[in-house]
Amino acid sequence: MNLTIHEGEFVAIMGENGAGKSTLCQMMNGIIPNSIGGRLAGKVLVHGLNTQEAGISILATKVGIVLEDPETQLFTSSVKSEVAFGAENLCLSPEDIEERVAWALNVVRLKGFEDRLPTSLSGGQKQRLAIAANIAMRPDILVLDEATSQLDPVGVEEVLSVARELNQKYGMTIIMATDASEMIARHMDRVIVLNEGKLEADGTPRQIFSDLPLFKKLMIRSPQVSQLAAKMQEAEKPFSSFPITIDEAKENVIQLVGNRPGRVTVVPENHKTVEGAQTSILVDNLDYIYQPLNVHAVKGVSFEIKKGEFVALIGQNGSGKTTVLKNLLGLLRPTSGTVLVAGRDTKKTAVAEMAEHVGFVLQNPDQQLFAQTVAEEISYGPKNLGLPPEEIEKRIEETLKVVGLEGRREEFPPAMPKGDRAKVVIASALALDPEIIILDEPTTGQDYKGCHQIMQIAQALHEQGRTVVFVTHHMALVAEYAKRVIVLSGGKLLLDDVTEAVFSQPEVVRQAYIIPPQITELGQALPPELGLPRTPLSVQTMADALLQKLNAPSLEQEHV
Amino acid sequence: MSSLISYYPGNTLFHRLDPRVKIIFMLIACTGILMINDFYIAALVFGLIILLWFSAKLPFSVFLGFMKVLLPIAAFLFVIQAIFYPGATPLIKPLIPIGKGYGQITLEGIIYSFVLALRLMAMIIMLPLISYTTPVQDFALGMTKMGLPYTMAYTMTTALNLVPLLQTETKVIVDAQKLRAMQTFEKGKLGEKLRAYPALVTPLVIGSMRRAQLMAVAMDSRAFGASKKRTYLKDLKMRTADWLFMIATVVFTIGFIVLSRYL
Repeated sequence: MNLTIHEGEFVAIMGENGAGKSTLCQMMNGIIPNSIGGRLAGKVLVHGLNTQEAGISILATKVGIVLEDPETQLFTSSVKSEVAFGAENLCLSPEDIEERVAWALNVVRLKGFEDRLPTSLSGGQKQRLAIAANIAMRPDILVLDEATSQLDPVGVEEVLSVARELNQKYGMTIIMATDASEMIARHMDRVIVLNEGKLEADGTPRQIFSDLPLFKKLMIRSPQVSQLAAKMQEAEKPFSSFPITIDEAKENVIQLVGNRPGRVTVVPENHKTVEGAQTSILVDNLDYIYQPLNVHAVKGVSFEIKKGEFVALIGQNGSGKTTVLKNLLGLLRPTSGTVLVAGRDTKKTAVAEMAEHVGFVLQNPDQQLFAQTVAEEISYGPKNLGLPPEEIEKRIEETLKVVGLEGRREEFPPAMPKGDRAKVVIASALALDPEIIILDEPTTGQDYKGCHQIMQIAQALHEQGRTVVFVTHHMALVAEYAKRVIVLSGGKLLLDDVTEAVFSQPEVVRQAYIIPPQITELGQALPPELGLPRTPLSVQTMADALLQKLNAPSLEQEHV
Repeated sequence: MSSLISYYPGNTLFHRLDPRVKIIFMLIACTGILMINDFYIAALVFGLIILLWFSAKLPFSVFLGFMKVLLPIAAFLFVIQAIFYPGATPLIKPLIPIGKGYGQITLEGIIYSFVLALRLMAMIIMLPLISYTTPVQDFALGMTKMGLPYTMAYTMTTALNLVPLLQTETKVIVDAQKLRAMQTFEKGKLGEKLRAYPALVTPLVIGSMRRAQLMAVAMDSRAFGASKKRTYLKDLKMRTADWLFMIATVVFTIGFIVLSRYL
């Protein structure tokens, strides 16, 4: 691979999981191959300095790196000492360190947080702190290796705006492995696409996002407005230019259909009526307080989920989503209020007993894989129930089929790719044949392909008649898949309605620091007189509406 | 039990003490406690340490958490010692005579068991008193100032830091197993419980290795270990309160040892 990155560039690295993004990132400051073994053929030069020959301290002042998991890169117990850590290792004088700490905290907007515990910060704040800790060493280059993929949309926005400021105001070269394509389109100069360790494409965001064959070949995320343009192109009704931002798309749409009056009748997305169905989950006035620090995480939340519903639970990090989910299983017991799941009071039922009725998939697959083979992993639950071997065998086969991992029963789960590990965990929960499936952030840290595959599995489970509840930060997925959305904010219930109704109130949704998907924002940005859907939930809906409008006999002629 | 190493911010006397003083306090006090064999003195020392605990304004629930774990261990020790300690004043005749003087419960045995249980609890409760009131980087700084190379001091504190992470991780994994209808740890027999452990170890080891590798990447990129010496933003200075506390520690420890010997 050959690649040159110039001073002051703001570069995005995209690619599917396993394409080599992290390896490339870690090569830039010599961690590969100096600390982590491996054979490197060729050279990596940073400012003419060979990373294999230069020492860590020299490289650390040239290249800073921020990793995906905030927890692994913060070592001390105060914000200030965290930022000072690197500068101290460079043997600077206390006065210099003090000055750099003040500067770095100011840049990442954490001034006033000096004495806080790093663990008490939000995800976005932690990543900004990790940036501060790196830039205090005054590197010329900052590498962000998937540094936003575990954050909620607001956290992503925070980190990006800091990165942008470092780039524009301080001329720092920023290299970011990310798939936040909407942000890439708005702010970055250059996109590098990797595939199987090779350089697949390299160009401006516009060149890359309009490269339709590329997106056919690789499952990577392009801005939803670009996806819309691609669909229009396929239907041979292309826009006059290729949009990558909302504003451009708005102009394009107006230009294309602006002179065609008349309202598009959109077939409402199929909302299964669940009136009268059995209650699956009932949460009544739930309060939860974490001890010993007395954190009031959930305050008076009530909702009812009927059998067979497909519900997304959304909210900012720390809004209480995971706490609510854990209360559904008895992993946490309500401080006050009642939770009835599958007719059982979770306060009085053992977790293991609940597990027969509710399949709960926790966030990190790696903490949920205990066995040596996939088959053994899936049979873990049924064995605990004491099911006969024939039945267990049947369930292994069935669940593997549902998650699309047929023929891989002998593999060692921890060594499988990230997306497949998540699927094994889902299969293992399904093996208990639960009537309710709860997925806690199943898509976090997954690439675009993994996200959709997981959501399609959830969709299939919903179609089997099971109740499905999931938490995710990916609003495009919520809009596309969920039938109903519950929004939590600051531990309280903010909204609870069908998906379309929730996203049709952007002001309210933003109170929960949630940013609606881009295609929905486009629908709301367009002038209402165009008669296009105001709250399109998927790119397909919008494309269909546009095509319907274009194919309808023009009404103008009647006026003549 | 809540985790052993984490920091509860505060501004009490104990929080403000120089970390070196706290390290010395811990060493001296532990040695002292081991040398006490008088019941009243042991009770007094335990009481004093509890007082210090509360003067540091650490949450009561955390204290209770420790006691929940410590009391059964202390009780176990108590029973064993009470039965096997040879004494002169028998209280209860042995049900099964084991041997000469053994197996009968004596007054001396009971008193000694009390002392032993108190000593154990006093020593163990002292660890969190120090770790909860000292930021890790100050700990490391204290150790470097006492002559340890900084890489070693940081390695030690980082290792301590991993303890709560491992605890949380273990809890998540056990939860994940319960979610797959595992009841072994609640209802299973001893043999079943032992057989359930390997399933816990696989994810724990893989997770720790992954984490350690990432931490190394993050530390490298912050130039850790790049040169033999490093500078510190914060400097440690012994203040009057520090000297007083140290003197008090020494005086009290010697006093208690002498008292317990000659009382």
